[in-house]
Amino acid sequence: MRRHGMGQNEPVPSLLLIEDDDAIRTALELSLTRQGHRVATAASGEDGLKLLREQRPDLIVLDVMLPGIDGFEVCRRIRRTDQLPIILLTARSDDIDVVVGLESGADDYVVKPVQGRVLDARIRAVLRRGEREANDSATFGNVVIDRAAMTVTKNGEDLQLTPTELRLLLELSRRPGQALSRQQLLRLVWEHDYLGDSRLVDACVQRLRAKVEDVPSSPTLIRTVRGVGYRLDAPQ
Amino acid sequence: MTEGRRGGLRGWSAARGAVSSGLRFTSLRLRLVVVFGLVALTAAVSASGIAYWLNREAVLTRAQDAALDDFEREMQAHASTLPLHPTAAQLEVAARQMTEDGRLFSVLLVAEDADGTQVRGSSDTSALHGFTLEDVPEPLRKAVDKEQPITSGNKHAYHLYWQRVVDEDRPYLVGGAKVIGGGPTGYMLKSLEPEAKDLNSLAWSLGIATGLALVGAALLAQAAAGTVLKPVHRLGIAAHRLGEGKLDTRLRVSGTDELAELSRTFNRAAESLEKQVADMSARDEASRRFVADMSHELRTPLTAITAVTEVLEEELDAETGSLDPMIEPAVRLVVSETRRLNDLVENLMEVTRFDAGTARLVLDDVDIADQITACIDARAWLDAVELDAERGIMARLDPRRLDVILANLIGNALKHGGSPVRVSVREEGEDLLIEVRDNGPGIAEDVLPHVFDRFYKASASRPRSEGSGLGLSIALENAHIHGGGIIAANSPKGGAVFALRLPRDASPLIAEDPGHSGDAAGEGSGREGNGG
Repeated sequence: MRRHGMGQNEPVPSLLLIEDDDAIRTALELSLTRQGHRVATAASGEDGLKLLREQRPDLIVLDVMLPGIDGFEVCRRIRRTDQLPIILLTARSDDIDVVVGLESGADDYVVKPVQGRVLDARIRAVLRRGEREANDSATFGNVVIDRAAMTVTKNGEDLQLTPTELRLLLELSRRPGQALSRQQLLRLVWEHDYLGDSRLVDACVQRLRAKVEDVPSSPTLIRTVRGVGYRLDAPQ
Repeated sequence: MTEGRRGGLRGWSAARGAVSSGLRFTSLRLRLVVVFGLVALTAAVSASGIAYWLNREAVLTRAQDAALDDFEREMQAHASTLPLHPTAAQLEVAARQMTEDGRLFSVLLVAEDADGTQVRGSSDTSALHGFTLEDVPEPLRKAVDKEQPITSGNKHAYHLYWQRVVDEDRPYLVGGAKVIGGGPTGYMLKSLEPEAKDLNSLAWSLGIATGLALVGAALLAQAAAGTVLKPVHRLGIAAHRLGEGKLDTRLRVSGTDELAELSRTFNRAAESLEKQVADMSARDEASRRFVADMSHELRTPLTAITAVTEVLEEELDAETGSLDPMIEPAVRLVVSETRRLNDLVENLMEVTRFDAGTARLVLDDVDIADQITACIDARAWLDAVELDAERGIMARLDPRRLDVILANLIGNALKHGGSPVRVSVREEGEDLLIEVRDNGPGIAEDVLPHVFDRFYKASASRPRSEGSGLGLSIALENAHIHGGGIIAANSPKGGAVFALRLPRDASPLIAEDPGHSGDAAGEGSGREGNGG
């Protein structure tokens, strides 16, 4: 998974790192820059939100414990207008962080002390989710997935999906009617290994249902298969 | 598993305690009743015995004296007037005269007629129950007939004698006297039945009174036992609750007797116990919090250091030769020790989570064989581990925690037993049994009970690079949180065997805790070698 250097014609991803601890911020900036990213940094949530509007990065790496508005709140505020990928930096002892973070709309999380190459791998995996892979489209009821334009419409209206949500929907739509386990989805969508956190899948499915389903509490498209995982039902 | 068994044992001993305390209370109650009963019985029996005996003597003596006095008088009045040798008819008439005035006794007169033959006259001549000489006991007759020497103290040659006899279950008084100067001998027979009846009814009354006293004593004993035993019972319940850990248990104190004093003592003991436990757990909590905070604080600089050492490491790997050959080993040392420090802090934090009870399960349905393969593959142990597991054994558990357990057990086996390590998976009912077996020298008997202890090192001389000393303890905690366990043993064929038992479905453990948030998955220790 580790990639050294970037291809010549690949655009250099620009990141925004929001982290209040100077040492961690400097070290991660150093490490990520070495991995081939363009890194902008902010020491607080407020600064980060300001920088976000000015620079439009491809991805945000966000510390949870921030002075002022915390990482969750920053995450929620970004999600109100933006679907750009967010990776949370959490402290593992605060288990609730992960759940709250995923509920606030984060795409993935890494646990401190984080290794630069692990963070890099996650960043690249998240960025790959937005990449186009096929040129067809599929229709599920009133939801149309256009794999060429990487858009999803419901009743003709564009749905605002994060790259992770889009990728999850794409992977499910590729195997309509077939149940995919959480571990399979973690590998396909998040590119995690066998220890991926199944809560990532659950949280993302919840968010996706909220956008795609007519009644999110009684889903008709993305069904839960007990003891297995999730299934996208073929259009009736 | 272990928890369950321990719980069962607790429940059993508690139940046994309840039964035995019930028996004890019953027996104390019984003892009180018996003692009260005995006291009442002794008192009643001796009182009524004395009363009965005194009464009996008084009644009998009075009846007897009256009868004998009458008899004596009648003898003097009638028998002494008879001729020296009376006929039977004369005797009978005299005897009848003696009993005429409504006397309640029969009289038999015996004399010798002129021919020297004995003649008798009885006042009661009815065929069946007539008063005959046979009714008079032989010794009495002899005593009556015996002539006493006349002395200063004895003025009469013949005395009046009496005796009580029982004939056909009826008590009688038989008396006899001889008329001095060769007169006839007179005997009297008086039925004592009315007196006996009176005495019988007295005995009955006394018996009934004794019985009532016994019943009263039993009731009193019950009441007394109640007043003693109820507080004792309450005390027992309170002590039981205290033993269960409900340290706020207190007794309501009323009165000033010894039991109230006991209750007060109990309350004081409970209070001081509660305070001590609170102090202790506060200290415990403080030190636990310190470790948690400390490892938390350590993580911030570690995060920065980790990110930077990686930069250094890549610089080494790049083989640019830009580094001073003296610097290179230093950098490598910093990199590897930072990694160890990361593992240690991570393990410390894991331990504090278990201690604080904040560790949670994040369950998923997984194929066990796949999980084990992935675990050993991720650590590049595929060549050193022989896996005996069929694919398709599914379980609902926390994959990250299973990985931690397996990595620690297999890592430990590789460290102490060397390769190959054999891992086998079996299903046993609702459980999953995973055995990790090595070919090493096994575990020394004195070490065996401590293998899961934190920072327990089998020998002091063991080099410090052997690991954090928390691995097996964390593995065991991870098994416990699944409702399972790990047992360490030595195989008879040599080598150590760690048997991990996990329930195939751990979701019932989570069902009790609907608000579970789960533990964060992520970079488990030892996954650093997975790059590339």
